[in-house]
Amino acid sequence: MVPDSIVEAEGLGRRYGGRAVLQDVSFQVGPGEVFGVVGPDGAGKTTLLQMLAAILTPSEGRCRVLGEDVRRRASLVQARVGYMSQGFSLYDRLTVAENIAFAADIRDVPRTELGERRAQLLAMAGLERFQDRREGALSGGMRKKLALCTNLIHEPPLLILDEPSLGVDPLSRRELWKILDTARAAGRSIVFATSYMEEADASDRVLLLRDGRPLAMGTPAELRAGAQGRVYRIATAEPASIERELAADAAVISFQRLSGNEIRTQLRMARPPRISGNAVTLIEPTEPTMEDVFTVGSADAAPPISEAHAAPPAQQMGASVVVAECVTRRFGAFTAVDRVSLSIRAGEVLGLLGPNGAGKTTLIRILCGLLAPTEGRAEIAGFDVARQSEAVRVRIGYMSQKFSLYPDLTARENLGFFARAYGVPRAEFASRIGWAVARAGLEQIDEKPVGGLSGAIRQRLALACAIVHRPQVLFLDEPTSGVDPLSRFRFWRLIAALAADGVSIVVTTHYLEEATFCDRLGLMMDGRLIAIGALATLKADLGLSQGSVEEVFLGFIARERENERVT
Amino acid sequence: MKLRRMFAFSRKEVLEISRDPFTLWVAIFMPLVMLFLFAYAISLDVENAPLVVVDQDKSAASRELQARFLNSGYFMLTDAPQDARVAEHALMRGETRAALFIPNGFARRLSRGEPAPVQLIVDGTYATTASILSAYGRAILYAFPGELRLPIQPEVRVWYNPQLRSRDFIVPGLFAVILMAFPPLLTALAVAREKELGTIAQIYASPMTKGEFIAGKLLPYAVLAFLELLIVVGGGLLWFSVPIRGSLLLLIVVGLLYVVCTVSIGLLVSTLVRTQLAAMLVALIVTLMPAFLFSGFVYPIFTMPAAFQTYASAFPTRYFLEASRGIVLRGAGLKEIWVYVAIIAAYTTVVFLLAAWRFRKRIA
Repeated sequence: MVPDSIVEAEGLGRRYGGRAVLQDVSFQVGPGEVFGVVGPDGAGKTTLLQMLAAILTPSEGRCRVLGEDVRRRASLVQARVGYMSQGFSLYDRLTVAENIAFAADIRDVPRTELGERRAQLLAMAGLERFQDRREGALSGGMRKKLALCTNLIHEPPLLILDEPSLGVDPLSRRELWKILDTARAAGRSIVFATSYMEEADASDRVLLLRDGRPLAMGTPAELRAGAQGRVYRIATAEPASIERELAADAAVISFQRLSGNEIRTQLRMARPPRISGNAVTLIEPTEPTMEDVFTVGSADAAPPISEAHAAPPAQQMGASVVVAECVTRRFGAFTAVDRVSLSIRAGEVLGLLGPNGAGKTTLIRILCGLLAPTEGRAEIAGFDVARQSEAVRVRIGYMSQKFSLYPDLTARENLGFFARAYGVPRAEFASRIGWAVARAGLEQIDEKPVGGLSGAIRQRLALACAIVHRPQVLFLDEPTSGVDPLSRFRFWRLIAALAADGVSIVVTTHYLEEATFCDRLGLMMDGRLIAIGALATLKADLGLSQGSVEEVFLGFIARERENERVT
Repeated sequence: MKLRRMFAFSRKEVLEISRDPFTLWVAIFMPLVMLFLFAYAISLDVENAPLVVVDQDKSAASRELQARFLNSGYFMLTDAPQDARVAEHALMRGETRAALFIPNGFARRLSRGEPAPVQLIVDGTYATTASILSAYGRAILYAFPGELRLPIQPEVRVWYNPQLRSRDFIVPGLFAVILMAFPPLLTALAVAREKELGTIAQIYASPMTKGEFIAGKLLPYAVLAFLELLIVVGGGLLWFSVPIRGSLLLLIVVGLLYVVCTVSIGLLVSTLVRTQLAAMLVALIVTLMPAFLFSGFVYPIFTMPAAFQTYASAFPTRYFLEASRGIVLRGAGLKEIWVYVAIIAAYTTVVFLLAAWRFRKRIA
């Protein structure tokens, strides 16, 4: 029996202690429907999905899954759904085949059907050859695909997937979605969560979540239609002056400088931004992306962008500050970084892109002087990173993915700690901290422990901590991961302002669309820098007149694989 | 309860254990290390305690008394100065545990049948050693011919461990302590690990019942703990040649019940915590600490204040310890120890039910 509605949620909410992490969520999912729950980290996506899988009891509201109440008949729901939690949820010491057999056993899959289903799923996931390999020895993408297989082995009518593509390289992500398309074609409903806005387009309907509340719901087309006329594309010869004008317009929610001299802006109402026409070569409404929808939707909640420290006009690009020559790093037989050469000028933003394990983090650690290169050499501002690491360290700032702040200290105490750690003279403490706070776009810093602050605020505070000693080079390791689009755009504005001050910036990111904010891109694969250059140059190199960053990236990977086959 | 799901879970557990050097090491090797360490290190016997003798009499009788102290095996001569102050300094510096003063006229007084004063000074810094040494000293002095006669001639016999070998007493106690130390820790860690890594989510979102989960987890760890029991009992009795007076089979059977009990405690702990670190701390506090201090392993419970005696009764180690020492030392049979066995059985049932009641197929 298939009920009319696979999921029926009404006024669903959950509190932890006194804090509401999710409230007032109502929606339905029909048979065969793909329903996307989209929002930044901390929006309440995981909480919602856990309640749907009946492994978390709702504090408020009603919810029926597969016709059963998730509170009173939880065990029936648990038994029938497929639930893939965030991260890696399989046993890493068991092999691929053992993991599948285990999943089949605990989910009562008839033994007679197991062989055929397993063969089918593994073939689809491209894992047949790895049946005897331990799960822990697979790549991130393969582990995710295997987890999906274990959740399809009992052919559930509803699949609940928590950030299935988090930390998965673009290639594996495509394969993952191919498996999901097959599941959908077989009539299964899918509810998935993601913080990648563009993934929302893969769903029939989307629920946008922000801070535990629903922001909007509808088909991707409907949502985009809602933002129609509020997103503009501006081509200009003087982007800096246009940016100043946009910042002054109260109707402007946010704007982003794209590669070349193009600016994209989102407005509170459906009218063009007020800018003087001189420098503008083109201004036209453009098709809203899901990111735009989110930005427009969350505008009411967020105050207008503060431009107390608008960027000065871009300087002439200076001399090379970072130089790497044939840098190689081996760990035993494994080569993490393979003959990488590059140079970065003052005020330049270099984006490093590549799948997990491509060597981005190792390269950054070498450039920071935290790890000595096995071969080759690297310099920061003329100092050798391996031999003069002390001199290098006072000239660089480093901000990691996890925002390494002390959660039990207040913002001021954190800043004070980093200032002392970097040897900022005592007399300059107040002025430096004030400068860093302003540069990081923090209006004021309050006296609460930072553990309780939102992701976006912690991100900017981490930036302030990384620049409090006025470094010449700033390394940012996935600084925007899991932060909502509006906050991410603002963060990129801050980066652009720092670059305009002459700081060289090396940034890694998972969000390929953010690559457009970088002056140049370095594409990494298997430890090698397979391409480096401005996005337009890279496109031209591939002979593409247009195309997304993802296509450029996949194009270079394909070319690289081709070369490998030949040699 | 579906056996297929339960056994699938147990099989998965066995595969994981067999591929995890840490678990195997803690399960098999650490108990042996602990057995050897404690059986060798914890000795309540006092042998060859340093002794300074100040013999001012220098007679045949005084030499005879000195010889009796040294031949007893309890004392060892380190110095024989003439000056009493030298002996005092040796005591003060901790160079000797005891000093014997034999004053001038010792032999003369003895021969006349007069009371002959002799002084034995014992360093009381280590209270236990001091009381043992003073008792040994008194026994040697009383047995010395010709001196003061006691009005009563007591005849004290020590039963069950006539040589008072403390190892015979420590080793059967160690069985109880070791089996409380490692099996619950491993079990608690195994569940907490699943919670920490998130692998437990796929168990939650599956038809597995909590009975299947708990039984499936208990089974392999109980078997592992039973293996551990065989190893420590075998190693303890054979290597340290502790004589077993009762039935080895009875010891093994009661031991099996006891390991099910300790593994259940591990399961209960794992239902209370989310992380492996917390599991380790809680497990240490509720298992190893009371097993050492409040089980009668070294410090007897009957000398504790009433409140601590009650506290000690809340942990099962003392009951198995009584049973284990009863069987090994006294040769007790089920007739004598059934009360302890019954208490362990009841304890196991309660802990298992508590664990089953606490376990929820829920994230929070």
